[in-house]
Amino acid sequence: MSLRSLLEKELHWSSRNALILVFLLLLLPAFFAGTSALFQDAVPRSVPVAVVAEDDAVTESDIEIIEGGLASFTDPERVDSRAEADRMLERESVYAIVGVPDDITTAGESAEFTLVVDGSVVPFLSSSRVIASLTETELDQLLAADITVEREIVGEEKQLPEYLYPSFLMVLVIFFAFTYVPYNIKNESVVLDRLRVETSLESVVLAKLVFFTILLLFPIVVFHAGSLYYGYEVASLAPGAVLALLLTFLLLATVSTTIMILSRFSGVGLFVNVTLMLGIVALSALAFPIGFFSALRTTVAQALPTYYTMVITRSIMLKGSEIAMFTEWYAATVGLIVLAGLALEGSIVYYRRRS
Amino acid sequence: MTERIELDDVTREYSSVVAVDGISLSIGDGQFHCLLGPNGSGKSTLFRLILGLTRPSSGTVSLPSAVIGCGFQRPNFYPGLTVRENINVFAGVVGAEDWEWNNRVVKELRLVRALDRKAGELSGGFARKLDLTLALIKKPDFLLLDEPLGALDDVSTARFLEFVDEYVDRGNTVFVSTHRVTAFEPYVDRVTVVHEGEVVFDRATGEIDLDSEQSLQEYYVEQVLDREGVSPANRPPIE
Repeated sequence: MSLRSLLEKELHWSSRNALILVFLLLLLPAFFAGTSALFQDAVPRSVPVAVVAEDDAVTESDIEIIEGGLASFTDPERVDSRAEADRMLERESVYAIVGVPDDITTAGESAEFTLVVDGSVVPFLSSSRVIASLTETELDQLLAADITVEREIVGEEKQLPEYLYPSFLMVLVIFFAFTYVPYNIKNESVVLDRLRVETSLESVVLAKLVFFTILLLFPIVVFHAGSLYYGYEVASLAPGAVLALLLTFLLLATVSTTIMILSRFSGVGLFVNVTLMLGIVALSALAFPIGFFSALRTTVAQALPTYYTMVITRSIMLKGSEIAMFTEWYAATVGLIVLAGLALEGSIVYYRRRS
Repeated sequence: MTERIELDDVTREYSSVVAVDGISLSIGDGQFHCLLGPNGSGKSTLFRLILGLTRPSSGTVSLPSAVIGCGFQRPNFYPGLTVRENINVFAGVVGAEDWEWNNRVVKELRLVRALDRKAGELSGGFARKLDLTLALIKKPDFLLLDEPLGALDDVSTARFLEFVDEYVDRGNTVFVSTHRVTAFEPYVDRVTVVHEGEVVFDRATGEIDLDSEQSLQEYYVEQVLDREGVSPANRPPIE
């Protein structure tokens, strides 16, 4: 019977492509099932906040009390100066600054705390109202003074579409690096023998990476045109943001290329890259501040270079932050590119040795 | 650095299969050299070893400093580009900027009509011609071709062989891997027959003792069948 023969053929094919099927039917479902557990709360419970004394009269013990009071719904971090706290806010190391006044332990006195939030981090603005309210309630119960919390928004308050603009651009960078680049490499594997004879795999790969990195300027310009059309105040062409996006693309494209070479330009390489892309998009906290998620997910996001690029891009595009604010993050990205380049070279050497 | 391509006791194993088994070979002297052997005899592996696409399990492959060009059994070019774009790209890659020569190669290989066609959509014959063109544009001192006549029509075969013969006359070495030597017989200077990864014989054509009316193809098949122990009575006629 022909159907039986065809079903047998499917079985044979599947057994010879078991790796792809393991990815699709086991690893990918397991990944999605696993990542769903990382999304825990609609309102952040462990959002990092800086706690800073607003007056020299504030004592160590006052700060400790405040930290204890905030710990049930935030992740407080004591900071020595307001300037340092501002810097942390700009780098999204914290999403709010709690300014502690003096006289908080004197009964009958009024003490006004400030909760400073960034106007450009739109998803946190609503939550910050809840946090201000919680802070007031919690500290009022805890302290002898009459406590009020004043919420202060620094910087220009942005709209949600403006906030999401850099995020979409970042997703595009990740998508391009993990889909088109591997697809292009796989397509050209048919000419690999001639390329290996006439030039070197290193030259071929380098040319591709340079070309695609330059090509990425086009979608950035398109995004800029879109922002002009919609009247968004987003500095899409800010050099620091463009540099961060290009460096990150180069890093990710180098990784995806390495995977393709290690998989010997096979379909498995494409699947691995797509899986990696989904993981990076899901875990880099591209749209929501890391405080919205579990401690585990926060740790994962902070381990990914894409998270830092997102912060840089968002800060420069939305707040006009200076490149100097993120110097060490740029340097770390360059360092990772060098490491990825070494891994890529290793994969080429491995490929040659296995030929 | 040698002025010839030298293989010294080269072996290449794939898992438990020995594709090339201790072969020593010298290629050069402006000869038209044919590597003959049945399917699976190790010709293509030998070819890839010479090109550095495969590493020998043991032994050494020494290459001259001269320019080496190659045509592949499975045509190798960018399928997404046109024929013209492929030629331009590889001319740039290998520094083949003599466009008078490049145009002549295109003309001799009867590729002019296909210049603006997408390479991935070419017929087998045109794909072969493009691959041969890419091998020739750099004017190689050593031209290595793996089954170069596959899918070529008779007219194109005749013109290509005339062109290659003239190329050899200029002092270049042509090394062709094939399982059918008939078309090459009038031009070939040296024949190396391989079987099951080993050299059966390696001689100049003048040193091969052919019976009257016997072709080189018949002689080669006879040698291989002898090695396989097939009795003369059971041998099919050779075309």
